[in-house]
Amino acid sequence: MTLNKDELGEHYGKVGVGNQNMLGIMGNNRDVSVGEIFMIYSCRDGHERIFFFRVLGLQNYIRQVDDLSRIAGTMMVESDAYLSGIERNMLLSVDGKMLGYAEEREGEWKFHSPRRLPDHLADVIRPVRGQSDPYVREMLKSQTDGEVYIGDLQIGEESLDVPVTIPAKFLPMHVGIFGSTGSGKSNLMMVLVKAMIDTNMKAQKDPDVPKISAFCIDPHDEFALGVDKYGIQDIVEAMDAGTRKTVLGDFYYLTTHLAATQREVRRYGKEIRILWNEITPRDLFSIMDFTSQMASFIEAVRGQHGENWISEIVNMSEDPDGTPAGTLRGVQRRLRFLTRSPIFVESGTSVLDDIFEAMETGRILVVNTSLMSNREQFLLTTIATRTLSDLRRALKSSGNLGDFERQAKLRLPPSFFSRVRAKARTFYSKSGNDDQSPVKDPRNLPVIQITVEEAPSILNPDLMRGESVFKDISRQGRKFNIGLLVVSQQVSVLDNVILSQMNTEINLRLGNEREIRACIENASVNITGFENEFRVMSRGEAIVTASYRELPLPVKIPLYDKVFERDKASYKATRTKKKQEKHVI
Amino acid sequence: MLEKILTKGFRRILEATFNDIKNQQDRRDEEEFAKDEIRIKEELLDTVDPYSSDVVLDEDFVVAAVDGSGNSNLVTLDDIRVHLLSSSTILLNTNSTNGQYFEPLEREKIEAELGEQPYLDSHWHSGVRGDAQEKLAQSLENIYPLKDVAEIVMPFFRDFTNGSINSTSDLGKSIEYGKYVKDLKEVKKLISRQQLLTNPIVHDELRTVTELAAARKVLESNLNPKYLLIDGALSVFLHFIRKYPSMPSGFMLRDVCTIARKKGVTVAAVSKNHTIPFAHRIAKMARDNFGDHSKWFCQLPSAEDPGGGLHIYEDRTYIPPTLAVPYLFSFSRDNRPSRVDFDRIWWKDKILVHGDSQATRENEKALFRDLEFMSRDARWYGYPVALGLAHITCKLSYEDMRLAKEIVDDILRAMNQEGRKASALREDYNL
Ligand SMILES: Nc1ncnc2c1ncn2[C@@H]1O[C@H](COP(=O)(O)OP(=O)(O)O)[C@@H](O)[C@H]1O
Ligand SMILES: [Mg+2]
Repeated sequence: MTLNKDELGEHYGKVGVGNQNMLGIMGNNRDVSVGEIFMIYSCRDGHERIFFFRVLGLQNYIRQVDDLSRIAGTMMVESDAYLSGIERNMLLSVDGKMLGYAEEREGEWKFHSPRRLPDHLADVIRPVRGQSDPYVREMLKSQTDGEVYIGDLQIGEESLDVPVTIPAKFLPMHVGIFGSTGSGKSNLMMVLVKAMIDTNMKAQKDPDVPKISAFCIDPHDEFALGVDKYGIQDIVEAMDAGTRKTVLGDFYYLTTHLAATQREVRRYGKEIRILWNEITPRDLFSIMDFTSQMASFIEAVRGQHGENWISEIVNMSEDPDGTPAGTLRGVQRRLRFLTRSPIFVESGTSVLDDIFEAMETGRILVVNTSLMSNREQFLLTTIATRTLSDLRRALKSSGNLGDFERQAKLRLPPSFFSRVRAKARTFYSKSGNDDQSPVKDPRNLPVIQITVEEAPSILNPDLMRGESVFKDISRQGRKFNIGLLVVSQQVSVLDNVILSQMNTEINLRLGNEREIRACIENASVNITGFENEFRVMSRGEAIVTASYRELPLPVKIPLYDKVFERDKASYKATRTKKKQEKHVI
Repeated sequence: MLEKILTKGFRRILEATFNDIKNQQDRRDEEEFAKDEIRIKEELLDTVDPYSSDVVLDEDFVVAAVDGSGNSNLVTLDDIRVHLLSSSTILLNTNSTNGQYFEPLEREKIEAELGEQPYLDSHWHSGVRGDAQEKLAQSLENIYPLKDVAEIVMPFFRDFTNGSINSTSDLGKSIEYGKYVKDLKEVKKLISRQQLLTNPIVHDELRTVTELAAARKVLESNLNPKYLLIDGALSVFLHFIRKYPSMPSGFMLRDVCTIARKKGVTVAAVSKNHTIPFAHRIAKMARDNFGDHSKWFCQLPSAEDPGGGLHIYEDRTYIPPTLAVPYLFSFSRDNRPSRVDFDRIWWKDKILVHGDSQATRENEKALFRDLEFMSRDARWYGYPVALGLAHITCKLSYEDMRLAKEIVDDILRAMNQEGRKASALREDYNL
């Protein structure tokens, strides 16, 4: 793309003075808002560079006056003093941050950290929607490119038609969404879910597009029907039957009681049932406290009775020999929530098989946890995550299907594995189905994104004292292509291991100064100085930082309803395709 | 060197020097000043009666100012020096009806009449014999808008001979100048200065002519200023023998003054830095007489003026300058007095009233009242705002020069001239 300086945007002024943190812009227009991005066109040695400068504060000053106080003094003493043509010499001094510059090399735009400064008198250009979009899109390609759409590049009060996305390959390096109540977290989650569905639709046609699976905890049961007008259900219904079948399968909605679910949603729903024998001691250890005596007791029972350890313990009436008195009662008390839980059941049909299948085929699950206790929700997420990661861990350490099966049997409850064994072999086989058949690398399987909503109730340092599957995933998820999507109102209370492994942060409006500071410290790109910015952010506005990008991206997240209405037609893919073909002919 | 400078010995050297100055020069001047004191106090010095701070003039007017700047060493390529020249023209309207005093005219309007502002140009010459003169003449011809050399030289002779030489044929017939007519036909020959054309002299001449060219353009434009302010003095240096300007700029200055008179424009050349002896004593006298806060002016008469010249500059041949009338003035207690020169021909016509010193004084007061009014900008209180603005818009700062030199490097590189020594001469030592 050849650059035409004059078409880049609105010519705003010229650089008077400047450094990394300040620009004196010569221009008459003083109507600038915090958060705006200016582009500075610089051409030296035949190299065109476009600098991006983000406004963080504004101040007027008078050109060629270096000693304002002297002039003020003169104005006071000499009552007849005037200032000739002073309006035209009022300069706008914008404090802000040089975000970096884009430069074209061999036909491709690269973005660099701000090691350089623009020239004196370089043109300052203000991007304008409807004009600058294609240029900015091209220049910032390396900073915005990816599969999963989250919103559009925001410049001050408006946004450009420059989609900002997250590359699927970075999802296993974990994403954080931070924002106070009402900042738009739920809406963003729906936008993300939609983006994943859209990606999976593309993946049907283009093998280069990765598939994305998501296990989305929905603690307020708002994703299916939406916060405002539309929900994920509307996408489901907008799809033709064929697309729905391939992209979403038979169901997408998991809930405690289907009977309590709206009829339309119920058609695509399943009840969450997890069998006791699918729970491992480790699952329980990571969600609640057990004394070491209790733990060794549990391990002993498990050694003797295998996967049926919970039933055994629940049905015991007195401490077995050699067990300190009271241990059994203590364990039973802790397991009581399982016996009362509608979802953790001794017998019946488990939904874990379906979860596994959905996650290995690139599908989206919305998990309504609104009727669960915190503990149930925590255990469910833990079991699902641990099951998925154990299977992929087994895969990762195997060369062929025979290896895999041996590894999996060591790690997973036998009856669960015997049920999914055949399916697992087909998902994981590279080719063939005998024990010698080579297996796939997890990185060639769908990305699995586990969302942890209301994260502080799970991912706080207190609960995570011991080994937790989430800590594990946060460190090693990348190997297994499993990532965490952590949604939280607070950053400051989250476990450090989780935070330090996070590589993408979507920072929405935050509640207080402490959270603002925590967010800035946690960000994967240096955004010091953005404090003011956070203070004036409105709902749906975010600053996206990522370790793999130089530029902190201000993003306007669209309202889910808007993007749904815009894209509604695309879910009936086949018909529009035919139309297009006709046009071509 | 530093350890020497910090010694007592060095102090003693300086003390001796200043004592000498005091004993010889100051004493002499003091005596001379005593002779002038009464005359200055009673005849030459007077107060400015300023307009009120919210004055609405009967007729608003336009003030123009030109200033130039430059650098004599943008780049040195072997023995070739490249000079950079700039000038800026500022036009302000008193605009008292709107209370927006000295509102700048629209840039577009100024540029439509005068060309791009500020003006920037370059010049070069080599060390080859005669090249400095050759190239200087070429550049001056390029810069100055009036191209006919006969027309360039005539205004000086008219003014200098009080009209007795009025045409080229008068000049040819003149006993004094007839023999030089052949040398008054091309710009190159107008450079009759006998001393070597050193780089600084070439640069000064280029700069002066650049300013005069800008001045001429304003006068010829439709912008119709009432005043045209120039930075510096209205000095013309005459060839010692030939008795006409030793450099083309001398002729051009008279050309500019002539046009100004025709157009009814008052030319005033203001210098903050001047060498009028005893300026500080005159200032003290003004304070003593009129008070600390007074605004005042003081004519520095020449021998031909009523009452003759002052003793204090009797032996300083350049005061007053040829064909000029200088004044000292101060509009602000904070600054040392400045100097302003007017065209003598204009002054005799518009200010001087023969045999009526009262009427002359009235004319002077009206003139200085306008000058004072245009000198109240808070940035340069006491100095004409138009000149202040012209100065800051034309000046080439250190940073400007640094960038200009970078651009030079770029261009040379692009032209594959990298081998040429583009950077300045060695700066690590200065022998
Ligand atoms: N990107 C957005 N643009 C405009 N309005 C939004 C946006 N995101 C959320 N909102 C509005 O703000 C309200 C709260 O949003 P929600 O997503 O529920 O916030 P949170 O989950 O952070 O509490 C909703 O009513 C929604 O309409
Ligand atoms: Mg919410």
